[in-house]
This record gives sequence, structure tokens and C-alpha cells, in this order.
Amino acid sequence: MPRLKQLPPWLARLVLPGLVLVWLLASDNAGSQTPDGDYSRKGADTCLACHEDAVTLAIFQTKHAVPGDARSPFGHGQLQCEACHGPGDEHSGRVRRGEDRPPIISFSDLYATDTSVENAMCLECHDDAIGLGWHAGMHSNDEVACADCHNSHAARDAVLQTATQAQVCYDCHQRQRTESLKAFNHPMLQGKMDCSSCHAVHDENVGTELVRQTVNDTCLQCHAEKRGPYLWEHAPVSEDCGLCHAPHGSNHPGMLTRRGPLLCQSCHSQSGHPSIPQDANGLPSGVPSQFLLGQNCMNCHSQSHGSNHPSGSKLMR
Amino acid sequence: MTAFFVLVAALLACLPPGAVAQTVDTSDWVCEFCPFRTGHQADFEVGVGSVSDDSAYFDNASGLGEEGVIGIVDGSGGFSSDGQQVEWTLEDLGLDARFAELSGGRQGSYGYLLSYREIPQRKFITTDTIFERSGPGELSLPAGWVRAGSTGGFSALASSLRPRDIESDRSILGIGGRYSARSPFSAFANYRRQQHEGTTILGGASFSTSSLLPVSFDYTTDEVDLGVRYAMQNGFLSLAYYLSDFGSAGNAFSWENPFASIAGAESGQLAQPPDNRFQQLRFAGGFGSRATGSHLSFTAAAGRIDQDALLLPYTTNGSLDTALPRSALNGEVDTTNFAATFTTRAIDNARVKVSYRFDERDNKTPREVWSRVITDSFVSGDSEQNTPYSFQRLTLSMSADYDLLDALRLSGGWGRRTVDREFQEVANQTEDTGWGRIRWRFRQVLDIEARGGIAKRDIDRYSERVAVQMQQNPLLRKYNLAYRYREFAEIDIHASVPNRPVSLTINGFYADDSYSESQLGMVSGDDLRFTADLNWAISDRTSVYLSTGIEEISSEQLGSESFSTADWRANNDDDFLTYGAGLRFLDIGDSIDLHLDYTRSEGTSRIDMVTASGGPSRFPDLETTLDYLYARLAYRRSERLELAATLRYQRFAMDDWSLDDVGPATVPQVLTPGAEAYDDKVLVFGLSFIYRVGNAAGSNRN
Repeated sequence: MPRLKQLPPWLARLVLPGLVLVWLLASDNAGSQTPDGDYSRKGADTCLACHEDAVTLAIFQTKHAVPGDARSPFGHGQLQCEACHGPGDEHSGRVRRGEDRPPIISFSDLYATDTSVENAMCLECHDDAIGLGWHAGMHSNDEVACADCHNSHAARDAVLQTATQAQVCYDCHQRQRTESLKAFNHPMLQGKMDCSSCHAVHDENVGTELVRQTVNDTCLQCHAEKRGPYLWEHAPVSEDCGLCHAPHGSNHPGMLTRRGPLLCQSCHSQSGHPSIPQDANGLPSGVPSQFLLGQNCMNCHSQSHGSNHPSGSKLMR
Repeated sequence: MTAFFVLVAALLACLPPGAVAQTVDTSDWVCEFCPFRTGHQADFEVGVGSVSDDSAYFDNASGLGEEGVIGIVDGSGGFSSDGQQVEWTLEDLGLDARFAELSGGRQGSYGYLLSYREIPQRKFITTDTIFERSGPGELSLPAGWVRAGSTGGFSALASSLRPRDIESDRSILGIGGRYSARSPFSAFANYRRQQHEGTTILGGASFSTSSLLPVSFDYTTDEVDLGVRYAMQNGFLSLAYYLSDFGSAGNAFSWENPFASIAGAESGQLAQPPDNRFQQLRFAGGFGSRATGSHLSFTAAAGRIDQDALLLPYTTNGSLDTALPRSALNGEVDTTNFAATFTTRAIDNARVKVSYRFDERDNKTPREVWSRVITDSFVSGDSEQNTPYSFQRLTLSMSADYDLLDALRLSGGWGRRTVDREFQEVANQTEDTGWGRIRWRFRQVLDIEARGGIAKRDIDRYSERVAVQMQQNPLLRKYNLAYRYREFAEIDIHASVPNRPVSLTINGFYADDSYSESQLGMVSGDDLRFTADLNWAISDRTSVYLSTGIEEISSEQLGSESFSTADWRANNDDDFLTYGAGLRFLDIGDSIDLHLDYTRSEGTSRIDMVTASGGPSRFPDLETTLDYLYARLAYRRSERLELAATLRYQRFAMDDWSLDDVGPATVPQVLTPGAEAYDDKVLVFGLSFIYRVGNAAGSNRN
């Protein structure tokens, strides 16, 4: 058996953290976070004796209440309401006058249960589908509750509908909502595009929260004409669309971060017109400048994303 | 990466296959009062509306830009029986921005999806051009056109201008399916076709002049996603394939030069984006232990982009054309992405997260020596080599959260991001970021989180040799490559009234960038943002909200017209303010719903410059103003019938010095389409009825 120092250096460096990792991950799951307590005697029928309002009953319009699906909370042998809300015997029992009814796991803001308990209930079923991608993400790290975004009782969960999803996300992502109201934008305000067109909050692209591996891969889903590879590439385009564009919204056409020609002149200083300042004297009231008006630099260098023309090295063809 | 797979294999060996335990006796849980969904259900909304004015801005993505009558056709519904489900949605069928979707299947077994969406894109209400379409990808001059050296000499301009809409339509067709049997395996397959067709404005340059051309394009992108997933009790593995195949209807666009030709350049030709294809294979997985609260997630992906479109000649000017070094670029880029994140709560009151990510773009496109023809007029005489850009980006981050008290959490983190690039001024760049955070929660009344940190981006060296090769001023430092020191801070406050559905959420963010080692280029940037929301659910049926957002983004850059040290300065200030309010009154008199929303947004961009030649000057403010009012009053005539009146008022106005007073001939060297800045106002009024088919959810107790 090889001694540790006989192992290749890269493998030797991994032994200790690897063993810790194996121990941490391979520990059995006896510690399930399923809450303690007795379940009710008649399941949902017990609950519906009191909770017969429209909001509660809407659960029966959803995928959580499909008897034909054995894995649904209302599938055969499943725990019905208590699959999510936990054991309800004590909650549904008699309560003396003046005493508070014993709480049950709640997903409402008003009667909130601890987020970790709420999420554990959801992950009891959804862990193998989304949970392990979820654990790597920012929302999990910031203890966002599943119910902060999802309404499992709604016949059509707003966060799953393109027309309404952004408004759910904007409840927390206020800065993005502000940006979405700028003059030039993706069609979020019109409800024709949703946040999940680009972002995946519990998917498997670890560390990006994007639907594809990189920012550019994500943008190029819809803007594939800019993928190239071009004969003449524009370096920032190949690396990160966000170097010039503000994807959540901008005051400038094309969702650019700043106006041309100054945006271009941040990086281009060649002798001649690239280095010459284009000030307000170049407006129509002065000496109208071809470097400033219309499409400024792109009046000539129109192939700013790259050119496949043999004479296109200056992105003019 | 090999080491990582060894580790994953070790984990796999330790993990048991999946199993679901159920110990509760539910034999008496008959659910007799459960109003399960069965049969058909549908809501149809049908009506008519009117649009008060033409508007390009509001036609964009909404289809509400043409004065006249519109049809209101929306709906949703479904069918459910014995586990089989079908659902459908129709949105805005009477407008150019329409959407339809059909999905269904047997839940827990298989599913399918079919969707179709159209998104119109419109720019400028008035644009004129002299160019006429003479064939696919060709623009010609009108009969009788008189060439001149500048726009002022275009004697036939006024009589030749014709309106031309700058617009496009994107249609997206999606087909998908998934299969998830009661085995650990599940699979999915999705196909999406996007067609984007229309006209855009593109600059066509001649030697010292240019024409803004109405260029037609017709793009098609086919995407395929295929994947299979294996679930275990403690984790999953997945393997997926992605294809994105782009095609353009033409590879070139040519135009006749309206200016007096120089060196015989009477026409020009632009390359259209080349057809290309991206394929990627992704392997991902996740493993977790609830006992230790530990999770490992990883992704490994390998992809390839290729394009072998035939190259155009150097020039359409036959006297200058020479042989190309190759007939097609045969461009090829390999991409590699690898990421892993490990989180654990194995230590009481603490959470630790370690993330690693590696992205590589390895551009293997062959390099050749090319002889450029400048704007179809002159052979440049210089030989140029193409520079296929590659980079490697590696990110490592660690963070820890510790609950010092039940209500007090301390957090801290560190991250390092290194980027290695080829053919650029900076070969190696490293950015270290450190941050700390404190979060205090007082019962369920107040939640305050403050975060702050610094980030320092260092470079091995800024190669002036490479900069000079690009004819750049050697003192310039590109902002994405330069040394940068960033300070940032953020605060979140969420306050609620105890046991009342009233909440106030405030966010403040500040970032200060300093490029202190840059003598030219961006030297500083500030970003200040503030948002606030007040929500009050007065009752189950009544709610109101107020919201606001403020942004101030500024930057300073230096340039040198003398091609030496800095002799001009520009300050950009982008300010943005938005505020809105809304209310919902539901079930007024048990039959009326009222929704009201109003939002106003104001953007102002200021540019101040100080130059050696012109002194201080200030551009007129670039201003945008957007008003949006939405009101909907719905009257429920019965359980099945509802009548609705909808009012939308939208106004968008813009002051933009790059367009204002810029007619086709304003700029002597550029023939423009004379587009005017937006000043659009639209009032949309609609009357509709909503009819419901099928049973709504109601208790079975009655």
C-alpha cells in the first residue's frame, strides 16, 4: 500500500479534505428534519373542517393535489396537508378558551415558521430534483424560504408564469426592479420575458445562478448571431457582454452602460479620431460631428460585435 | 479535474440508492371533502379595445403601437382526469406580442410542452432612407441620385427620401418533453426555434463618409437540450447535451455608396454574422447529508463553437481584390467549465461555503496573414494577423456565517478571481475580494443586514508593447484590464408591524471604484443606489403599496488628443428616479375588483467635458421620462361571467442630443435616417368579458 508521501502531490493534497468531505457527505440521513408530533386522524378531512376558504382549497387545482401521482402530497398513502404543514393532531385538537391553538408549520409571512423548517418540508420531496443545486446557491445561503417565491396553493404560481414572475423576484430584488423601469430594457415590464430566461436559482450551473455556464453563453441563447467566432473579434465581446451592456436596463439605447463615443474611448486611444474628445461643440448647433451624432463610433465601426469580413479588422465591414 | 472525479467516485461508493420510507398509517385518510380537479376548466377573456396613437416605443414587445382597434383574446384552462392533465394558456392573441402554450402529461410519469411566442421590436416612429431594396441583401440608390462629397451636396435628397420602418419580429417555438418513471432515472428533451427577422440600422462606411443603412436580416437559431438524470437518496447525477445552431439567410449585405466615390469605391459590402454552432456536454451532480447539513454540488461542461461560413472577398472593388489566404475561417472555440460548491453546517450555529469555478475559452481558430482593403478604396499595404482571443478564468471563494446569538449573525468571506488572457495588454489579472456582514433580527419585526468590503484587482503588468502594436496610447489602461480598487457597502432593512401585514423594505448600495494606476481611460466610478417599498395588506381583499428607487452612477475618464499625457477629461453622471403606487380592492360588494398601478421613471444623463482645445463644455441633458398607469375594473356578474374595463396610459419622452435636430443631411459626412427621439403617448382602453367553464375549487362539504 503506498505511503502518503509516495502519492502524486495533487492526490496527497486531497487526502485530508477528501476524507472530511466523504465523512460529511456520507453520513446517514437518520437526522431527517421531519417535525415531531402525531398526525391527525383523518388527514385532509380534518383540516378542511376549518380551512375551507378559497385560498386553501386552491391547492386542489395544483400539482400538489393529484391523487394519480403517488409522489404528490395527495397521492395514495401520502400525508396530504400534513406532508407540508407537518403533524397536525395537536393543532386540530380541542383548545381551551383563552388558549392559543398550537401552531402548525406555516408558510405565511404573518405566522412564519423558521425558514430552515419550512424549506426542509419542501426539500423532503424536492431534494433530489432541485434541492442539491439549490444548496449551492445564493438564495439558500441567504435563507430565502421556498414560500418567499412560490405559492404552492395557487392554481397558477405567479413565479412560474412569464407574465408575472419578475414581479415576484422584484419583491426582494428591488435594484433590478428599478433598472427594469429604465428606458431601454429587455421586455420584462411587458411580461414577455422572465428572470428565469437567464437566471436559474436552483439549477445545476454551480456558482453562476445562470441558465447556462457563463454570462455570454446565457446571452447568446437569444443573440446567437453575436457568437462568432469571428475572423476579427472584439476582445470584450468574447469575454463578457456585461462589459459594455447593462442587462437589467439602461438609460442608453442598446442597453449600453454609457454613451458613445465615451464608452468606446474608455478603451480606444489610437492617434487620430479615437483619441480626440467629442464635446458639445460637435452638436448640430455647432459643427455637427460624425463621431458624435447618429450612432457615433458605430456610424462607421458598425460591426462592434466582430466581423467575418476579410477587410473587417477595424470592424467596418 | 481528475482529482475531483476521484473524489466523486469515492462519494458515490458511500452513498446508498434511493428509497422512500413512509410509516404513518393513512388508511383512514379518505379525503372525502377534497375537491380534486377533474374535467375541463377554462377562463376565456374576449373583448375589444382602442389604441389612441401610433407609437414605436410602446409597440416594442407589447404590440400596442398602432392607432386603431385591437382585439382582446386571452385565456387559460385545462383538463384533468385520473392523473392525466392538459393545461393551456393564450395571451394577447389579438396583438403582435402573442403567446400560446400547451402542456400536459401524466404527473410523476411524463410531460410535454408546446409553446409559441411572438415579440415585436420597433425603433423610432419616423425614419427615412434613400435606399431601395434591389435584391436580397442589396441596397441601391434611387434613380436620378446625384452623388456628392458631403450630405450638403445631395441635391436629390429631399425628393428621394422614403419612410422605412426599423422593426423586427422575433418568434419562438418551443417543444419539450420529460419522462420520470418510478425508477431513479428521469429524462428530458427540449427543442426551441427562434426566428428573428426584420430591419435594423447599420453604418456602412466609405473612406471618410458613412451611410446609416436599413439592413434586412433573417436569423434562425435552433436549440436542443437533452438530458438524463439519476436520483439517489443522498444525491443525483445528470448528463445533458446542448446544441445552439445559428443560421443567417445571407452572409453579406451590399449597398451603393451615395457619396462621391473615392478610388472607385462605388459600393460597399458588409459581412452578415456567420452561421455558427455551439455544442456542449454537461455532467453535474449533487450529494448531501442531512445529518451534517453538508452538500456538494458540481458541474463539468465541455463545449465547442464552430463556424465555417465562406468568406467574402476583400472588396467588391474588383481592381483591388486579391486572393484570400483561405476560403473559410473554420473558426473553432473549445469551452470548458468546471465548478464545485461545498456547504456545511456541521459546526453548531455555523455555515461554511467553499466554491470553485473554472471557465475557459480556448479559441483554436487558425491565424492567418490578411491584406485589408480600406473601405473598398485602398489596399492598406499592411499585413494583419487575426487574433483569436482566449481566456481562462478561475474563481475561488470561501465564506462563513456564524450565529453569535439567536438574532445576530456574523458573516465573512474572501474570494479570488484570476483571469489569464491571450493577445491582450494584460496577461494575468487577479482580484481579491474580502467582505463582512452583520445581520440582526429582532423577532419578526426588524431584520437589518449590513455588508461591506473591498476588492483589489491587480495585474502582472500592463504590456505597453501589446498596446503599441494596437496603435494605442501606451498610457491607456482599459477598464476591464486595469488595476482597480473597489470599496462597497450595502444595507438591507426589513421592518414589519407586529402581527400586521405591513412591511417596509429598504435597500441602500454604494460602490466606489478607483483606477488609481490609470493615466488614461477610466479613472474612477461611483455607484449609489437606494430603493424602498412599503406594502400594506389592509385586509384579505385590500392592499396598497408605495415604492421608489434612486440611482446615481458616475464615472470619470481621461483622454489625450495630443497622444501623450491626459489633456481632456469627461464626467458621466447617470441619475435615475422611479416611484410608483398601487392598490388592490377585491370583492367590493362581493362582485367588483379594482386594480390600480402608477409608475413614473425619470432618467437624466449628464456629460461634462474639459478639453485642451475647446475648454469646458456640457452636453444638454439626456432625459427620459416614462409614465405608466394601469387600471382595471372587473365586475363579477356571476360565478362564470365577469366584465372588465381596462385602461392603460403610457407616455415616454426623450431628449437625446444624438438624434435631436439631426436630419438626414445634418452631419456632412454621415447620411442618417433622420430618426427623432421618442415622444410617444398611448391611451389604451379595453372592454372585455371573461367567461369561466368548469368548476372552480370549492369545498365538497356542501
